[in-house]
Amino acid sequence: MPTHQTDPRLLSLLHTPGLWRGSAHAATRSAFADSGVSTGFPALDACLPWQGWPRGALVEIITPLWGIGELQLVLPLLQQISQEGSNSVWFAPPCSPYAPALLASGINPAHLYVVSAPAAQLLWGIEKALQDAACALVLAWPGRVSHRQIRRLQLAASAGNTLGILFHHGALRQSTAALRLRVEATRQGLRVEVLKARGSYRQSTVALAREAP
Amino acid sequence: MTGRLHQLPLLGRPQRTLRVARARMPQTTPGKTPRPPLWYAIALPQLLGIPDAQVREEKLALLARQLGQLSGTVSVEAPDSLVFEARSSLRYFGGIHSLRTHCRQLLQPLLSEWGLPVDFHQAASPTPAASLLLARAGCNLLVHRRENLRSALGRLSVQSLTLSQQRRQQLHNSGLRLLRDVWRLPAHALGQRFGTQFLRQLDQCLGHVATPVKAYESPPRFNSSLEFDYAVEGSERLLPAIEELLERLCAFLRARNLSTLHLQLSLQHEAQAPTLIALDMRHPGQSRAPLQLLLETRLSTLTLPAPVCGVQLEAWRFKSAAAGTQSLAGFSAGEGAAAQTGPARIAPLLGLLQARLGDAAVHSLQCQADHCPELATSPTPGDAQTGRPPMLALQARRPCWLLPAPVQLQQHAGQLLYRGPLQLLSGPERIETRWWSGQEVCRDYYVATNPRGMRLWIFHEREGERRWFVHGIFD
Repeated sequence: MPTHQTDPRLLSLLHTPGLWRGSAHAATRSAFADSGVSTGFPALDACLPWQGWPRGALVEIITPLWGIGELQLVLPLLQQISQEGSNSVWFAPPCSPYAPALLASGINPAHLYVVSAPAAQLLWGIEKALQDAACALVLAWPGRVSHRQIRRLQLAASAGNTLGILFHHGALRQSTAALRLRVEATRQGLRVEVLKARGSYRQSTVALAREAP
Repeated sequence: MTGRLHQLPLLGRPQRTLRVARARMPQTTPGKTPRPPLWYAIALPQLLGIPDAQVREEKLALLARQLGQLSGTVSVEAPDSLVFEARSSLRYFGGIHSLRTHCRQLLQPLLSEWGLPVDFHQAASPTPAASLLLARAGCNLLVHRRENLRSALGRLSVQSLTLSQQRRQQLHNSGLRLLRDVWRLPAHALGQRFGTQFLRQLDQCLGHVATPVKAYESPPRFNSSLEFDYAVEGSERLLPAIEELLERLCAFLRARNLSTLHLQLSLQHEAQAPTLIALDMRHPGQSRAPLQLLLETRLSTLTLPAPVCGVQLEAWRFKSAAAGTQSLAGFSAGEGAAAQTGPARIAPLLGLLQARLGDAAVHSLQCQADHCPELATSPTPGDAQTGRPPMLALQARRPCWLLPAPVQLQQHAGQLLYRGPLQLLSGPERIETRWWSGQEVCRDYYVATNPRGMRLWIFHEREGERRWFVHGIFD
């Protein structure tokens, strides 16, 4: 490393603001490191710049169909939130959440609220819940969402410092959400593909084992 | 005395919680003794026919509110009587007979509206206890002077006093039938035989001991309206008027140290019945901004049937505004943040969602100890939570999603199909319950998986057509 310090041309190049250096990746990682909430899966935590779920941000979980195990990704998070005594609001889940199962996983159903609404009103409700700091987690199954709507929800999440997780079947190529995950079921369990994580260029795939029934 | 009121020590927050109940002292002019009060009692034995005590109390309260036009001190004497102070009103109404006519005119319309007999007993005397006793006994008497009370009451039976059954029997066995008989006996001997409570009642009747009278206060009710000079179209044009009404409401609440739980806004139209907007608050409100947000949200979903020519805001259900508890170690940030979590903190958000999406849109989950899977959880409207959820000892795993109703599985050549052929992973778990209700549940549950990666909770009927159903999805 001593050579480039002597070369003034290299030095001026290094001071160009548009230049991104691979060694900065580690610095970004450590800056983000304690801002996240662990996902409960060490392999997945290692792929994410926040070492877990981000705070005050929007996450998209894209699945080919409901019920392939995507809820298992958020169960440890729900458990942690329930232990803290914080609230989570579920918007338009595809089925009714079953309270005895949640209780058995260590999630107190008393801190969980389910909102059902017509599609036209749903996004309004999700935005209000994300903006409210009283709500620690918003899970939403909004159906089809556009770029603009995701951007708006992302802004609401950062305003309320709330984690919002949208589940959808993924028609959009890209979005402004802080984290996008694609979940697929495999014979052994789940394959989680990190499509986008803000602050990281890595696109990685993690295999998670599903809990035996 | 009134001049020295400011010297009294004030506790708490004077501008919000202090309420002067009665600052006026009885005026005494030197050289002139004040005239003794005259208590007018009304007994309505027809009310005793109403079986529900609460209904009876409500009716008495309504009658008491009517009598508020005659006197400043009206007292409700459960279960069937009212007493009011008449001396202070005598001159205004022009004598006791005119007062009696007014009294009848005020009460009889209400009684006939309720379908009850319109006649009632009434008596007036210098003590409230004696008036009540006379009225309840059905003696329509007017006793002006305290000295005459003894002879007026002497004719009444001792059973008209409020006494325990044992005491009544005791009096009867002693041969004491009328109050006159009792008064012939020496007072200290009476006290020894029948107790001080009995003596006290007699003394209260005669005015030797003061009778405490609890003045009836009508419950607060807020009602304020604004009329427009011209009809207004579009709900957003109503907002300034609503803001003004809410400002009045909040001033009303602050003055009484109350908070409201229920609001009713009526939008008046020229030729139609008014549009009513009822708003139930999840947590009692006293400040304008959250109330306004809720009303605005509700208005935004409303389409007005006609232009609005006036708005009216009413509130009648209140709660005393208690300040929230604060932790002793309030300086510790971690502790403060923990205290603010939980259902109380999310109530404003849920209220807002309900105001726009409807009351049924938001529900919380409740766990019930029931073996039947579909009955073990119940959506509870709002956040009506009753304590902790029951801790169920579940041996078997349950699915996170339960289908609203079981879906019957297709079969092809003995193979179960649900988005592909199913493969059983574990089972069976037998659930057999509710045989007593006629809707017997008799099922074998299995965990199955399909090629798309879904893990399903399926069951096989053990009786009847022995069909297969899918009942839940694991995660």
